[in-house]
Amino acid sequence: MSLIIDAVSKRFGEVQALDDVSLEIKPGEVFGFLGANGAGKTTAMRIVLDILRPDSGTIAWNGQLNTEVSRDTWGYLPEERGLYAKMKVLEQLVFFAKLHGVKPRKAEQETRDWLERFRIPEYADKRAEELSKGNQQKIQFIAAILHDPQVLLMDEPFTGLDPVNAALLKEAFQEMKDRGKTLVFSTHQMDTVEELCESIAILDRGRVVVGGTVRDVRRSTGRQVVRLAVEGDSQIDWLGTLDGVRVTRRGQDYTEAEVAPGQDPATVLQAALARGCRIRQFEIADPSLEQIFIEHVGQIDTSERTLAPRGAYA
Amino acid sequence: MNGWRTLFPNAWYISVREFRSRARSRSFVIGTVILAVIAFAATQVPVLIDFAIGTTQTRLEVVVRASGLPSDSVAAVTGTLNGQDATSDHQPFVLSWLPGGDLAAAQQALEQGKFDALLIVDRDQATQNLGFTLRTDLAADGPVVRAINSAATWLALDDGLARAGTSIGAVQATPFAVLPVNSSSGAANSISQEVSTNLLSTGLIVLIFMAIITYGMWVAMSVAEEKGSRVMELMLNATTPLQMLAGKVIGNGAAGLTQYGIILAAVVGGILAQGPIHQIVLGSGSGVPFGGFDPVVLVAFAVLFVLGFLFYSLLYAALGSLVSRQEDVQSATSPLMMLIFVGYFMSIFGLQAIDETWVKVASFVPFFSPYLMLARVSAGHVALWEFALAVVFLLAGIAVALVAAARIYSAGVLLYGQRIGLRQVLKSARVSR
Repeated sequence: MSLIIDAVSKRFGEVQALDDVSLEIKPGEVFGFLGANGAGKTTAMRIVLDILRPDSGTIAWNGQLNTEVSRDTWGYLPEERGLYAKMKVLEQLVFFAKLHGVKPRKAEQETRDWLERFRIPEYADKRAEELSKGNQQKIQFIAAILHDPQVLLMDEPFTGLDPVNAALLKEAFQEMKDRGKTLVFSTHQMDTVEELCESIAILDRGRVVVGGTVRDVRRSTGRQVVRLAVEGDSQIDWLGTLDGVRVTRRGQDYTEAEVAPGQDPATVLQAALARGCRIRQFEIADPSLEQIFIEHVGQIDTSERTLAPRGAYA
Repeated sequence: MNGWRTLFPNAWYISVREFRSRARSRSFVIGTVILAVIAFAATQVPVLIDFAIGTTQTRLEVVVRASGLPSDSVAAVTGTLNGQDATSDHQPFVLSWLPGGDLAAAQQALEQGKFDALLIVDRDQATQNLGFTLRTDLAADGPVVRAINSAATWLALDDGLARAGTSIGAVQATPFAVLPVNSSSGAANSISQEVSTNLLSTGLIVLIFMAIITYGMWVAMSVAEEKGSRVMELMLNATTPLQMLAGKVIGNGAAGLTQYGIILAAVVGGILAQGPIHQIVLGSGSGVPFGGFDPVVLVAFAVLFVLGFLFYSLLYAALGSLVSRQEDVQSATSPLMMLIFVGYFMSIFGLQAIDETWVKVASFVPFFSPYLMLARVSAGHVALWEFALAVVFLLAGIAVALVAAARIYSAGVLLYGQRIGLRQVLKSARVSR
């Protein structure tokens, strides 16, 4: 009972879009795909959906190949948002639901419920082109879930959403999770991943560089992080001089440092006390996903770094 | 290709959506209204011509100074000038007949513009033959003067025959018989039959040509639009390329047929309205009779229209899937356009050379058969098996086009970029579903 991606490879001309990717996504889980543009997230999703066929490898959902399972299994929110510009919102959502075999009346009722939830009930009879980008995105989300799919695949669902709408969408995520759906989404936003995901995979140039539960991934380096703030010294210059300690962030609120694997973070506290500092804050934590990501992939590149022609196979 | 099993109901939903969005579009509504108005106006051209002719009447006064004219001379002249056709309502001449009239008064009336021409009839005292003088500002070699001249000749002949003791009625040959080339009985074609057969087949060929060009382009545009707006990805998850292809072809075809139906209704309505409009404008008369619609030709037209559209619109869909923007559709489909034009011109020329071998051969090729077979059928030079064979070939062509288009389509719709070669598409087609 899970979504298994087994040794999938896909090449577009010169570009190895996916290179022997294997993943297991458990049912009912919220799973995050992390990676720069061109890392292979979209290709992976399209292959799971059987929109593209892999060169090698297989996809299975609950032990059944993705070429065999019903298309209604999947709900898809593509990265390149697409709606019929001239069609009215309600009309096209009912249309998409009908294609998945939902009865028109039921589709209409559910659409109205969701529009209500997203605080845009008055847009039901507006044409899609009249809506703002954020609202179009909410419509796109409704289009992905109206047929009650078991697995939701969403490509960059939070891109371009303001904080209010992002919060609404996160609520909707939670609701889908409560209904027992499996959610897979890709994003650049590490805080969103930490907030929502139970498991993640970081992709780089078509390969999974690290994957697993968020906690395991954060602990994968063996390093720990301490956050320290002391009275009267915002710089804490001496911190960097300690053995096995590397300062990663200086701020007025606190200074953050990484402690080498195997070293007890408490040594930092002891050093501070030994210097007679009055400690305002001391905290031991795992490295953030952002740090892990930078370590594995390099810069978090939010610009287009597509390996393939733009939009083609990203 | 598990799409074969599950073509419906999704193809149906898609075609309904395509039909609605097409039929609601401004260009469709405006285009249909304009075409219907033009079509209606075209059917009123005969009325217009009658109206134009009907208002130009030549007012002719005839001063007869000669004596002893035959009793039927007024009728003879009037009949010659205005035609003896009892069914014609139009009277090109208004005659004012003044036997032994006052030449000075007649001349004055002419100068005052009450008449267009003055014909003076004298008798030569020596030969006893009639002599004529025409006073007018109309062109001396124009049709009106020529008509008056032949009427005068007719009158002189009638007069001469009367003096010889006989009459035109006695010597005039009965109307001569017109027989077909290879038959000693039956009637030859009338001009209206000749014209309507040729005009009809040309018209039907143009109808097919226009439908394929216009509505095929709609299909290509609709594919490119979905690709450009990226709805395509959503559609690909919900449906199969085959369902999309079928839905688009059916939906746009139905929209096209609707437009044709409305235009046809305007034409039929216009023809039916000819009589009443004629009555209102000209105060008399009925519509122009039309006929010559051979039911066999119409059935052939319907079959070839539908199959030709299916065949070409599948190819249009495939080509439309190769471009990412609607602006590029025109250039991507231009090879197909050339092919359609070639077929069209072949059939127009073929109408004049309907029994040439190349016409016969080409009328079986799916790319050309919608036009050429229609041309041959309307010329009546085709056996049933030939028509059936062309239809079978066309059906086979549709099957091949369907498979090829579905392949190209499913590969093409996911390829975004400026230039996509057919080779690239075929390569991806092998791995796409």
